Amino acid sequence: MKRTVKEKRNKGIGIVFCSAVYLFLFLPIFVVVANSFNATTTKPYLSWKGFTLDWYAKLWSNSSLLESFGNTMLIALLSTLLSTVIGTLGAVGIYRYKFKGKGIINGLLYIPVVIPEIVIGIALLTIFSNTGVPRGMLTLILSHVSFCVPYVIFNVRARLSGYDASIEEASMDLGANRIVTFFEIILPVLAPGIAGGALLAFTLSIDDVIISYFVNGQTKTYPLKVMESIKSGVSPDVNALSALLLLGTIGLVFITQSGILSGKHNKV
Amino acid sequence: MSGKTSKHEFRSNTLPALVTVGPVALLLLFLVVAPLILVAVMSFCKTDEYYNVVYDFTAANYGKLLSVDYLKIYARSLLISFTTTLICVLIGYPFAYIIARTKSKKKKLLYMLVIIPFWTNSLIRIYGWRSFLGNSGWLIKILTFLHIADGSVDLLYKTGTTILGMVYCFVPFMVLPLYTAIEKLDGSLLEASSDLGARPLRTLFEVILPLTSGGIFSGCIMVFIPCLGYFFVSNILGGGNTDMIGNLIERQFKSANNWPLGAALSIILILVTLLLVKIYQKLGGDMDSLGV
Amino acid sequence: MKKRLMVLVSALSFAVMCMAGCGETGAGQANAAGGEAAGDKGELNLFVWTEYLPDSVVEKFEKETGIKVNVSTYSSNEDMLAKVRSEAAGAYDVLQPSDYMVAQLIAQGMLKELDFERLPNFSHIGESYKDPSYDPGNVYSVPYMGGAGAIAVNTDKVDLDITSYEDLFDPSLEGKLVVLDDFRAVIGMTNKAMGYDLSEKDPAKLALVSDKLMELKKNVALYDSDSPKSALISGDCYAGMIWSAEIAMAMAEVPSIKVIYPDEGAYLFFDNWVVTKDSPNYDNAMEWMNFMMDPENMAMVLEEFPYLCANTDAIAIMGEEYSSNPAKNPPADAIAKGSFVENLDSDILELYSDMWTKLKE
Repeated sequence: MKRTVKEKRNKGIGIVFCSAVYLFLFLPIFVVVANSFNATTTKPYLSWKGFTLDWYAKLWSNSSLLESFGNTMLIALLSTLLSTVIGTLGAVGIYRYKFKGKGIINGLLYIPVVIPEIVIGIALLTIFSNTGVPRGMLTLILSHVSFCVPYVIFNVRARLSGYDASIEEASMDLGANRIVTFFEIILPVLAPGIAGGALLAFTLSIDDVIISYFVNGQTKTYPLKVMESIKSGVSPDVNALSALLLLGTIGLVFITQSGILSGKHNKV
Repeated sequence: MSGKTSKHEFRSNTLPALVTVGPVALLLLFLVVAPLILVAVMSFCKTDEYYNVVYDFTAANYGKLLSVDYLKIYARSLLISFTTTLICVLIGYPFAYIIARTKSKKKKLLYMLVIIPFWTNSLIRIYGWRSFLGNSGWLIKILTFLHIADGSVDLLYKTGTTILGMVYCFVPFMVLPLYTAIEKLDGSLLEASSDLGARPLRTLFEVILPLTSGGIFSGCIMVFIPCLGYFFVSNILGGGNTDMIGNLIERQFKSANNWPLGAALSIILILVTLLLVKIYQKLGGDMDSLGV
Repeated sequence: MKKRLMVLVSALSFAVMCMAGCGETGAGQANAAGGEAAGDKGELNLFVWTEYLPDSVVEKFEKETGIKVNVSTYSSNEDMLAKVRSEAAGAYDVLQPSDYMVAQLIAQGMLKELDFERLPNFSHIGESYKDPSYDPGNVYSVPYMGGAGAIAVNTDKVDLDITSYEDLFDPSLEGKLVVLDDFRAVIGMTNKAMGYDLSEKDPAKLALVSDKLMELKKNVALYDSDSPKSALISGDCYAGMIWSAEIAMAMAEVPSIKVIYPDEGAYLFFDNWVVTKDSPNYDNAMEWMNFMMDPENMAMVLEEFPYLCANTDAIAIMGEEYSSNPAKNPPADAIAKGSFVENLDSDILELYSDMWTKLKE
């Protein structure tokens, strides 16, 4: 009896504690959403001037904001595509073949992962600046690929560790060449790892601020546009775009999650 | 396809190795190795009166970085990062423990709720804190309504505010590895410990913590190191008066026009990072758990 | 488990982003279509101060000329120089440097001479603003706007009677100041407070200034050059040394805020339009400069950012409300007493830079 009372109390404390942490995590998001309804029209848009939905309409005529968002999407898609191809090939190659410098490559892959982003940012700025590569879309994509590739490789490698090379030999014994084998045998096995890596790369790319900040030239990505708007006060239409994106993602999560849960028996 | 060529292809590994590993190797060479070497070289250079980098050997940049003023900034950066990491562990551990060991059906949802904030741009969330904590923000409105405070709260632009922002940014990076480690924990061990009469605290220190130390270590690395370089948090919440190593580096490249000094600072930051990673490996940390 | 969730989560965000991306592409195409018509006459890349050029004026220029304008912003002259230097040549067409920085850019050979045949509106510029010491004969620059690093005080919150930069060092203002995030302005102000020159060059005196800065350090809550008015309006800061027009804007929101020109003589600045040496859009740059010297257009700027203006005819349009507001149109004696920043030798500049690092540590 005494014990259950105590357990109940502990459980209560646990719930309160976790709720507090969730509140902490979501509080600024509530603020962002609330600010998107602020009727204020004067910078720095801080004081509350009443409720309005105007900003959700005005958002669509803010061409520089939309353009930056388009840039972010384009950069994310291209750098995801490139880093997935390079990373997948690399992971397979590193796993399959023996060559000089394998240890070095393995070690170097950790550098973009552990070194603080600012160092990667200034290092890329330095090399682009010294070699005269004009800063812009190209340098943004190259930079994003450079920090995304390791994550793709780690993901694919996790799949490879359980991979049985003998099926590959079997395939070749049956007359398939390397390329056919790669596409028909290896890729399907690795698919989940590749997808995971690609999606992680995409996520990293769309939210990157620090590295992009150094190599963007005049091309603005969405996070950099936000950074610029912070200088003079974030206008509610930026908040509105963030709120819409969040709403969309959360909505999809719940739809798909319930879908996955109900379809679970068929799949497994 | 003739049997001969196929056989040839089967034997030679040079071409396929080149095709598969080549792109990664080139990428690492040109976008990781070469830039870092250039930074290392530049850290020993001077600038002329028009801020151009002059490739002329000098150790003056490092000499400067050993002065008391700079040492103070490192000390403070390390202290801020350390405090952030500590708070992240103190909040993250019990939190990860509860959601990882809950028997609730909503476990998956609870986990997702940690990740969802990530989908909103991090800068705008930090700015959300600024507008929440400011003297015309929601906090003061609520506190005034509750008659707890009147007029102003003065929470912005302090070292504590920077730490709050850092904890906010990095708590999920602590929670995720801890969650994985705690979830793997075998529940029967805990029951055994308690059946054998161990008090909960003893179970915690002698069973739970040692078994999940890997998660703690990788969480600490994933918080401490990036924290040193997150210059925008102290810019937005610290008011520009809680400079960390990251702010110093940013300033050399973005306004002070002293790239060699910024390069030397970066090299120091790299050395600190490598030292921490070495310690992490010595403690038995797994490099792969830092990646994903 | 974690990885699978991570994958799931990323997959979903991917899907959403794609959807959002598609929606956006639609809008983007519409823009591109509109932009094509507007972009017939090419582009113009502007690099200007934050909160210094209204979007409405840029839009008007685009509409009138069919030139597509890309605007990037900076927070200090040094920021601008760093970015221009690190970019490929010709990345920016038109810059907006202050007085001393114009001289520096000329010395570094980074500017292109202006073609006054194409700048008929130069006639609207007041005579006293022509032929400045930093660019004799206006070979490379035409003046835009200027002002002072003046003192702002919220008289509801501060009892102290502030009349000088020196007063900002008063211990009663601990943690309550906002100052410009600009080392020449803040160190210059401290030089002035100690009775030295705005661009003091004597290392012995500068050592004393460095100590004095430590007193200021306790008082400063926020360094902000972009929108220092925000902290005054929100009530997070009570006083500070900020751009004069920013004070005017804060006064419009919070009537208890006042502007004060310091007894020691204020830190003054004047910003100018210049064209970079490798500008690929020289013609458009000329068109822009001429457009910006049109009194109507300049008055549009002053409506939003009421700084001290070189365009006499624009001031006439603005009328009494602008001319009589000391924060918008600094009084003649404040200008006469004030001084501009001078260029420093690299060793002295490094000293300034070190003092700044120490202040911000």
